[in-house]
Amino acid sequence: MTENTVEVLLVEDNPHDAEMTIRALKKVNLANRLTHLKDGAEALDFIFAKGAFADREIENKPKVILLDIKMPKVDGIEVLRQIKANESTRTIPVVIMTSSKEEQDVITSYNLGVNSYVVKPVDFEGFARAVSQLGCYWLIINQAVE
Amino acid sequence: MKTKTSHFLKGRLSIQQRLPLLICLLLLVSVVVYGFANYYSLRKATLIIADDRLGTISNELNIALSQSAQGIAASLGVAASQRSVIDCLKSGGKGFHNEVVSILDNQHHDSTYVWTELLDDHQVPVLHSNKSTLQISISAKDALSSVKVAPGLPVAGKIYSTNGSVYVPIIAAVADKQQIIGYIILWKLFVSTPKAVAQFSKLVGIGTDFYIGNTDGSLWTDLIKPIPNIPFKINNVSELIKYTRSDGTPMIAKAQLISNTKWFIVVAFSQQSVLSEVDSFVNWLVLIGVVIIAGGILAAWLMSRTIIKPLNQLIITANAISEGNYSTTIPIDMYQNDEVGQLANAFNIMIGQVSRSHYELESKVEERTAQLANVNKELEAFSYSVSHDLRTPLRAINGYSIMLKEDYDAELDSEGKRIVRNIISNAKMMGQLIDDLLSFSRMGKKDLVRAKIDMQELTETVVRELLQHEPAPDKYQINVGPLPPISADQVMIKQALINLVGNAIKYSSKKEEPVIEIGAREEQKKTIYYIKDNGAGFDMAYSGKLFGVFQRLHSQEEFEGTGVGLALAKRIIEKHKGEIWAEGKENAGATFYFSLPKI
Repeated sequence: MTENTVEVLLVEDNPHDAEMTIRALKKVNLANRLTHLKDGAEALDFIFAKGAFADREIENKPKVILLDIKMPKVDGIEVLRQIKANESTRTIPVVIMTSSKEEQDVITSYNLGVNSYVVKPVDFEGFARAVSQLGCYWLIINQAVE
Repeated sequence: MKTKTSHFLKGRLSIQQRLPLLICLLLLVSVVVYGFANYYSLRKATLIIADDRLGTISNELNIALSQSAQGIAASLGVAASQRSVIDCLKSGGKGFHNEVVSILDNQHHDSTYVWTELLDDHQVPVLHSNKSTLQISISAKDALSSVKVAPGLPVAGKIYSTNGSVYVPIIAAVADKQQIIGYIILWKLFVSTPKAVAQFSKLVGIGTDFYIGNTDGSLWTDLIKPIPNIPFKINNVSELIKYTRSDGTPMIAKAQLISNTKWFIVVAFSQQSVLSEVDSFVNWLVLIGVVIIAGGILAAWLMSRTIIKPLNQLIITANAISEGNYSTTIPIDMYQNDEVGQLANAFNIMIGQVSRSHYELESKVEERTAQLANVNKELEAFSYSVSHDLRTPLRAINGYSIMLKEDYDAELDSEGKRIVRNIISNAKMMGQLIDDLLSFSRMGKKDLVRAKIDMQELTETVVRELLQHEPAPDKYQINVGPLPPISADQVMIKQALINLVGNAIKYSSKKEEPVIEIGAREEQKKTIYYIKDNGAGFDMAYSGKLFGVFQRLHSQEEFEGTGVGLALAKRIIEKHKGEIWAEGKENAGATFYFSLPKI
C-alpha cells in the first residue's frame, strides 16, 4: 500500500453531509486515506485520471466510492454508469449514499450495478452509524479484487 | 326486481305473435258476421222464391183440377138437362128408362167412373147406369148435404174414402121450369197412378209432396190413397207453412182452395231441397272464410316480420352501442321511406351524435388525464425535492447539534444543553413528518397487488416487531385472533396494521396493565377486523378528526406522533374499497374497525 493510495473516495456536493461522513469515518479510524470531491465531473476526472488529475496513476483504485446522487454538473447516476461501463473501473465497489428514497433511483442504480444503496437517515446518530458500518464493511470485511 | 321483469315479459306475447293473432281475430269476426248475414238473407230470399214456386205449382194444379172437375160437371149438367131425364122423373121414374140409362152410361168414360145414378127430389135413387161397377156405400143424401146444387150449376162434392180408395161425387140438379125435381150423381175414383204422381213430382222438383183434402178437414189424400190428417193446420191459404214430416224431414208447404170445389190442394217441398243451395253456399262461405283467415294470418305474420325485423335490427344496434360499439348503424335502404325507415334514420343520426359526443368526451377526458398526469409529475418532482432537499439541511441541523453536544458539552450550562436537546428532537420530529408525509402521498399512486393474506400471521408479526421497540414489552397483554385470511395488498395492509396496532400500543402505554384485543367478524360480503385497547381513548365528539392528515387529539407531550398514521391507514383501507371507523371514550379505551371486501 503506497502513500498516495486512496482508500475512500467521497463524492458529495454538500459540505455538511461530507463533514458528517468524514467525522463518522474518523470515529472508527477509517478516514485516513479519504479523498473528498465536490461534484460528478471532478469524480470522473479523478477516477479516469483526466483534467486536474491527469498525472494520477489510474491503477490506484479506491477501495470504495461513496457517491451522492444529486450533484451539480454530472450527477451520481451518470458517474456510476461510467464507472460500471469501463472494464478497468467496474470492479471498484460503489455505494450510493443519498437522501432520496425514490424507487426509480434505486432501480436505476441496481440496474447499473451499484454495490450498495444507502438512504441517509435524517438523524445524525443513525447517519453516523450507517456510515461507520459501511466503512467497516467495505474497507475491512470485503475482499476487493486485487 | 329481476324476476319480476322476466315474469312480466314471459306473460306477454311478442308483437310478432300478437299482430297476426289480432288480425286473425278481426278476420274471424268479420267473416263470421258477414257470412251469417249473407246466409240469412240468402235463406230468406230462397224461401221467398220457394214460396213463389209453391204458389205457382199449386196454382197450376188448382187450374188443372178445377178444369177437370168442371169438365165432368159440365158434361153431367148436359145429361141432367136431357128431356128424357126430366120426363123420366116427371113420370115418377116410370118411363123413359132405356133412354135415361143410355144417357147415364154415356157418362162413364173410363174405369174410374164407378157409379152414376138418378135421384128424385127426395134423393131416392131412381135409376143407375148399367156401366156402374161399384155401389158406393156413402148415401147420396150425405154427399148432397155438403154441397149446394143449383139448376144448371153442377158441382163436385167433398171427397170420401171407402174400401181404401177415395171417391168424389159430381152432382147435377135436374130441373123443370127452374124447379129441382131430381139429381144425377156420379162417383169417380179420385186417384192418380203412383207413376203419374212420381212423374209430376219429378216435373216440379224432387221431394215435392201433394195433398188434396176437404176444406172441412174430414179427409186427406196424397192422390193415391187416403192418408191420416196432415200434420199442420191451414189458417190462411196464402201463408207459407213450415212443418215436420213424419219421417223427421223439415218441410215448407202452401195450400190453395181449388176453385168451384170444397178442396184444398197442398204442395210441399222439403226444406232440404229448397235450402240445399243455401247450404252449399254456407259450405263455400266456410271454405272461403278459412282461406281468407289463413291468408290473413300469413299476410299479418309477414307484415309483422317486416315491422319486427327492423325493430330487431334496432335492438341489436342499440345493444351494440350500449356496449360501446359506435361504428354500428342501421342499413336504411332496406326499409324504404316508411315510418320504420324514418325511425332508423333518426336512430342513425342519434348514433352519430352520441358517438361524436362520446369521442369528444373521451378526448376531453384524455386531455384532463394528461393535465392530471402533468400535475402529478410536478407533484412527484416536488415530493422528490422534499425528500432530498429538505432532508439534507435537516440532517445538517441535527448533525451539528449533536456535534455541538458531543464536542462542547462541557462548556454548555444546563439551559444550553436543554436548548440543544430541543433542537435535536425537533429536527428528528421534522424528519419523521417528512417521511410520513412522503409515504402518505406515495400510497396514493401505488397500485394494489392483491394476494391472499394470512391475517393471523401478519398481525402476530406486526405485534412482535412493534413490541421490540417498547421499553417494557412484557406488560402488554395482546390477544390476537383468530383472524380469517383476506385477499388484499400485503405491503399496504401491513402498513395499516402497523399504524393501528402501533397506536393501540402507544395510547395504552401509560396504563399499568394495557390490554389489546385484535379480532374479526365475518359478514356475507366483507370481513370486519378490529383493534381494541384500554388506553387513553378519545372523545367521540372529535371522531371526525381522527383520520385527517396532521389531525391529532393528543398533545405532543402526552403522546408523540405526526398525525399521519390514521390518515394513511384510512387511505389504504379505502383503496381496498373497505371502510374504517372508530369508537372510543376518553380514558376508557378505543376500538378501531376496518372492513375489507371478500373478493
